[in-house]
Amino acid sequence: MKNIKSNSLIAALITILLIAVSCERKLDGLELATYPTTPEVFVDGFSTGLYYAAYGTSKVTAFSVDKEVKYSGTASMRFDVPDAGDPFGSYVGGVFGTNPGRDLSGYNVLTFWAKASEPAVIDQVGFGNDMGASKYQVSITSLAVNNTWKQFFLLIPDPSVLTQERGMLYYSATPQNGRGFTFWIDDVKFEKIGTIAHEVYQICNGNDLNSTGAQGTYTILNCNAIFNLPTGINQTENIAKSYFTFTSSDTTIATVNSSGVINLKGNGTAKITAKVGNINAVGSYTLTTGGPGFPAPTPAVAAANVISIYSDAYTNVTIDDYCEHWEWGQGQPWHAIITTEYSFGNLNDNNFIHYSNNNDTWDLKRMISPIKFKSNPQNVSSMTYVHYDVWVPSVSTYTTNKPTIALQDATGIQVGVNSTSSLATDQWVSIDIPLSSFSGIDKSKIAYFVFDNFPSDVYVDNIFFYSQPTLPTTAAPIPTFLPANVISVFSDAYTNVSGTDLNPNWGQATVVTQIPVAGNNTLKYTGLNYQGIQLGSSQNVSGMNFVHLDFWTANSTSLNIYLISTGPVEKAYSLTVPTTGWTSVDIPLSAFSPVNLTDVIQFKFDGNGDIFIDNILFHK
Amino acid sequence: MKKNSKAMVSAAIYSLLLFMLFGCTKENVQTIDQRNWQLVWSDEFNDSAGVSPDAAKWKFDIGVGPNYDGWGNAELEYYTNRATNVSLDGEGNLAITARRESYSGSAFTSARIKTIGLFEQPYGRFEARIKNPWGPGIWPAFWLLGANSETIGWPQCGEIDIMELRGQKPNIISGTVHGPGYSGSASITKSFAFEDDRFDVDYHVFAVEWGEDYLDFFVDSTLYQRITPDNVTGNWVFDHPFFIILNVAVGGNYLGFPTDQTPFPQSMLVDYIRVYKEAGQ
Repeated sequence: MKNIKSNSLIAALITILLIAVSCERKLDGLELATYPTTPEVFVDGFSTGLYYAAYGTSKVTAFSVDKEVKYSGTASMRFDVPDAGDPFGSYVGGVFGTNPGRDLSGYNVLTFWAKASEPAVIDQVGFGNDMGASKYQVSITSLAVNNTWKQFFLLIPDPSVLTQERGMLYYSATPQNGRGFTFWIDDVKFEKIGTIAHEVYQICNGNDLNSTGAQGTYTILNCNAIFNLPTGINQTENIAKSYFTFTSSDTTIATVNSSGVINLKGNGTAKITAKVGNINAVGSYTLTTGGPGFPAPTPAVAAANVISIYSDAYTNVTIDDYCEHWEWGQGQPWHAIITTEYSFGNLNDNNFIHYSNNNDTWDLKRMISPIKFKSNPQNVSSMTYVHYDVWVPSVSTYTTNKPTIALQDATGIQVGVNSTSSLATDQWVSIDIPLSSFSGIDKSKIAYFVFDNFPSDVYVDNIFFYSQPTLPTTAAPIPTFLPANVISVFSDAYTNVSGTDLNPNWGQATVVTQIPVAGNNTLKYTGLNYQGIQLGSSQNVSGMNFVHLDFWTANSTSLNIYLISTGPVEKAYSLTVPTTGWTSVDIPLSAFSPVNLTDVIQFKFDGNGDIFIDNILFHK
Repeated sequence: MKKNSKAMVSAAIYSLLLFMLFGCTKENVQTIDQRNWQLVWSDEFNDSAGVSPDAAKWKFDIGVGPNYDGWGNAELEYYTNRATNVSLDGEGNLAITARRESYSGSAFTSARIKTIGLFEQPYGRFEARIKNPWGPGIWPAFWLLGANSETIGWPQCGEIDIMELRGQKPNIISGTVHGPGYSGSASITKSFAFEDDRFDVDYHVFAVEWGEDYLDFFVDSTLYQRITPDNVTGNWVFDHPFFIILNVAVGGNYLGFPTDQTPFPQSMLVDYIRVYKEAGQ
């Protein structure tokens, strides 16, 4: 469906008609104390004061008055939807309005009849589009039409507000599977009828939404009305938020304006509800300051390499207790209990754990949340990292602590790793700690994962152990540059500069090997500190534009490549590590200025970790 | 309510035609004699919410009918006696609620209650104040069945449908009699329609006034149909005790089947049922 909003339009391309042909009312020459209440929009012609404006990007000639096909009387409105790609516009749409507006407060529905040249769907029909603020817009979407006339109804949610409405009818339609079709609309009029019943107004699609989040702006969405047609079936229509009166349960925490925009400004909880006229709307939006407003990032590690404690992305191990209560020194004067409460939350179908409500007998300013799986101890000896995502609300207390993650084995030996700084607040923070940091415990039988010394109030997700693959499992991508445009140093795809020494002895500690990766010869630097490549002969690369290489590393945190000319003149270029799979870079040679590009003799890498490299070459 | 399952479409069209020809027309509203009705039986349904119908007055029909054929009409519901299908609403009404739920092999549940063996009467005024459910395939009914139905069978026992509604036409109700020679699609029936209102938004009183040689059908104070022995195309069998039935069927040949768009659950709310006898009779 084309999402067409009146304020995004180049409005009013053509005003076809401005004729007064109302059958009953003669308003000419009268001074009106109030706005006219004319019910007819289009019955057999344009009603009094009605004008038409096609959407600027639509096929503006699509609408015409048809005297042959009609539901009743002498004429109907005809709309010719073009084929997709029509140079004069590939959809139809427009607004029928009046100026001045009409007083529609005595009606409860807009009704019309429609048919089409073939079974088709009209994307949208509505009223209340005045090509301005369109404050009281109402629409139904995806109207199924066929070759038989069918009546449609749009409920006026609160007629009392429509005392000077200018938007009588608007519509849009797009081709069906690329092909155009024709539809007709007839007998469009506002009516007050008793065969429409059971209207229900909804915000948030009728759901009671809960959200925790940082202070800021939130919006009520999915406002609609459901009502029962004379045929006993329900019709849903979209209605403008202006029909609703929104209320906040606590305006010191959150305020809400007439557009359904919520300003969450205090610490606590506020519930937003709404009414249309005197009718309570179904659905609510409860906002609590503090927690995340959106889920933690979905982990990217393959499930085969994960032992998960808590994550929607993986199958989790059986947990004995998500927060065992620990105490120290029973019977001693320094007997201490630090109890943390936990609850599970959900955002966009993504679950998280909320730890809070610290009861800290000695005011130690610690929160401890031990996750126990002792009845099901985990062998993580093949894993290399432990990961968690955490959201610390800024309202949390003692956020200056240096949080610690501790692991405890089945025999009770516990080792903690302190983070080097406090955690950033009001955002998801992803932490990965190398398991090598937890020394002295039996990693074949881990029984607890412990959040220790954490802020008083935290949200956590995606707690898991994982192993980083230490080798790439796929070959580097094969370069596709024309051989004539390449000077290759190390690649199976091209002829390399002959005589090149891939491991000149420059006193480095790096171990250099060549290994096949998926059948592709790959250069491997193990334990990189620095490493050179001595070209077989000086190369003039001034006719080239880029240095290309592919690299892969799971554990490097620093990697630079240098180009060197005689002198030596060298220049470093920093590469982003670690990588997710192979990274291909094309570094402009200008980045290596002032290296003499007519006399390039060496490459050098420095940094750390284990690096896999392929396809080192110059190209245009 | 108990229908011959054939040719129901034509019955529906017939009803509609009757309505179009006669419904709401002035000359069809007759002046009737004032009668002195005296209350002999009633249920006001004034108990607390969730309470089952008074066992001294009502029995339940359970299941999908004795012949497993949807009570002779290919109805889709399974009738239960659970409070979720039939109980008082605590606001003075009986609620018979049809639900879309899988139950004992059926896709819908509902309830049907009857006074058989507890209250049976020939003649008098039978009235109920009802707010109807709605939606395609929803079929609420307030009706009487001859108390000898199990011995002589249907339609010889006679059936008086005081109110039936097709949920896809919530502004139309029908009053019907079935008997030998005039049952199912050949039943004697007439519809009453609101032009600009519906039977599911407010309570209305549906009544039949039954004498030895007439049956008068009312909506509120309007008499919309009189059936006499001259009108029926067979024997007049309305001369013996009948019992009362209240139910909400789902689907069936009478009205077609619910669709995905039929809103569930759907409740028929009954404020009261009152039965009168004419004084001195």
